[in-house]
Amino acid sequence: MPSRQRRLLVVGALTLPWLRPARAADVLHLYNWNNYISAATMARFEAGCGCRVKEDYYSDNEEMLAKLEAGAVGYDLLVPTGNAVESLIRRGALRPIDRSLLPHFANLKPAFTNLWFDPGNRYSVPYATSITLIGYNIEKMRALDLPTDSWALIFEPKHLAKIKGKVTVLNSQRELMAAAMKYLGHSVQSTDARQWEEAKRLILAAKPYWATFSNSTYIKDLAIGNIWVAHGYSNDMFRAREDAKAAHRPFTIGFATPKEGAVLAIDSFVLHKSGQNPRLAHRFIDFMLEGENAADVSNLIGAGNTNAAAMPFIRPEIASDPGIFPPPEILARLEMLRDFEPRLRRTLSRLWTEIKVR
Amino acid sequence: MTNAASPASAHSQSAKRPTLWSAGKAFQAKWLVTLPPTLFLLAFFLAPALIVVGASFREPGEFGGLAPLENLAGLSLEAYRFLLGDVIYLEIFARSFLVAAATTLICIVLAYPLAWLIAKSPAKRRDLLVLLVILPFASNFLVRIYAWIMILGPANLLYTPVAVIVGMVYVHLPFMILPLYTNLEKHDPALLEAAQDLGASAWTRFWRITIPLSLPGLFSGAVLVFIPVLGMFAVPELLGGTGDLLIGNLIKEQFLDNRDWPLGAALSIILTLLVLALAGLAAWAARRGFAGTEAVS
Repeated sequence: MPSRQRRLLVVGALTLPWLRPARAADVLHLYNWNNYISAATMARFEAGCGCRVKEDYYSDNEEMLAKLEAGAVGYDLLVPTGNAVESLIRRGALRPIDRSLLPHFANLKPAFTNLWFDPGNRYSVPYATSITLIGYNIEKMRALDLPTDSWALIFEPKHLAKIKGKVTVLNSQRELMAAAMKYLGHSVQSTDARQWEEAKRLILAAKPYWATFSNSTYIKDLAIGNIWVAHGYSNDMFRAREDAKAAHRPFTIGFATPKEGAVLAIDSFVLHKSGQNPRLAHRFIDFMLEGENAADVSNLIGAGNTNAAAMPFIRPEIASDPGIFPPPEILARLEMLRDFEPRLRRTLSRLWTEIKVR
Repeated sequence: MTNAASPASAHSQSAKRPTLWSAGKAFQAKWLVTLPPTLFLLAFFLAPALIVVGASFREPGEFGGLAPLENLAGLSLEAYRFLLGDVIYLEIFARSFLVAAATTLICIVLAYPLAWLIAKSPAKRRDLLVLLVILPFASNFLVRIYAWIMILGPANLLYTPVAVIVGMVYVHLPFMILPLYTNLEKHDPALLEAAQDLGASAWTRFWRITIPLSLPGLFSGAVLVFIPVLGMFAVPELLGGTGDLLIGNLIKEQFLDNRDWPLGAALSIILTLLVLALAGLAAWAARRGFAGTEAVS
């Protein structure tokens, strides 16, 4: 999942009116994560099809679902994460994919097709992946002799004592509790209330050492050096690393997937029922399935890639980064988040509130 | 207001006694003028508010929103029971009211001298000064909060309760300055001169004349600051630390992150009731306060 920052800022940009009206036939309406398809890729598509792409942005699956639930229409394409794809399918909000219009579908890695949220890929075409992991200031970690390959770094008081006030964790009930559950050796899909209580206690013991819960500011804080350790998304860590490099900071940012396992997010293209232009939407998906175009999301945004044909086009230092392309033994320990039923959601929300207040 | 005829006429014999016909005309005109805003409020304030009340008695839906309601037996007080049976939610309410009260007090202390200064400046300069007060609104709210991140970071205050208060005061200060200024500007300087002639010291003049006269301005400023602070979630989210969860954040979380509309709706209703009770109390206190100072005005 791409950066959730500017969560509210983008809203203003969305409301800018279009100056010249265009025929519905040659405009593709895309509702996407912000900063998830590079401008260069988009320009190539527009030049090739003689059409325009009008892009709206969200920074959170829930935000997108809420907007659609509230009646937003006219979007041809969405890019939801697995659990949101499942939600949209069960709600009957999606249009089936016509495989005959996607000659490049075979480019996809088999490991990312036919997944639980859409068996047989009837509605979704995977686009990119990210991992929720730990980003850190390499020099500080080395100087303080701290382990960077384990959730212990953000949960164990004996490590945290050395970096008190220099750590941020995600302000997300599902993500933070999932990290705690992984560290304790439980599944992130557990329905056992006692295991969630255990995760809560772990979090409460570590909380006094954390600076804050942050979903977006950690990118800047890491890149500036305000904080040394952050729990967050791999592509955000990529950006923090690039920002620190560009600003010639005297330190470097690294990121690694903890050995206990972590949360994997797979984002896919899906066709919304209200879209006016399914044919153009298919054309866009197929364009994005071509190796060279698919590679952009890894090269420019630091997301993992679901496309085998993209790999030769991906810069070698990115293709070999285990934080972006996890090796098989790590991949086996990653779990995707799935939706809970309303009762358990309320119980977890209660635990989360307690975590915030205590 | 339709009974304006009787008490007003008791004051002066010379006032033209309004006839029944002209009173009816005035009544009609009032309705014509107030109908559009009344309809607007009914449609876009009361109706949504009632929807929220209804939602608070429903069950959360699987995808967010509300579970389908088969019959009235599906309505329940479950969300309220969940909230009221747990001391943690009470704590958050208490903390939010404390933050709102502190913000309001600080705003009063900061805004009063400023508003007074503007009101006392030459008429020509006043507009410019007022413009300066509202100038920050020209840039985006979030951009200004991000600026505070950069200011508070090096001062080691970022992600603390202090940062939340600073942000809240910063955002809401103009809402205290403007009503105070509008009020102070209208004070008749002759009152102060008269008091001075009668031997009142500067402090007495301020305390016995300026303050009582400015109470309506103070009151509207306090309302304009206190209530929005209670609902503000962006400031604690961006500037606050690990413990700075306010009621606004909790409500936002229920709707956007947790997809539990009934719980969010119930929280909103409880907050609304508390605010209404508080506003009622304040209005009652203010009216009692004015009754004692009527002689001055």
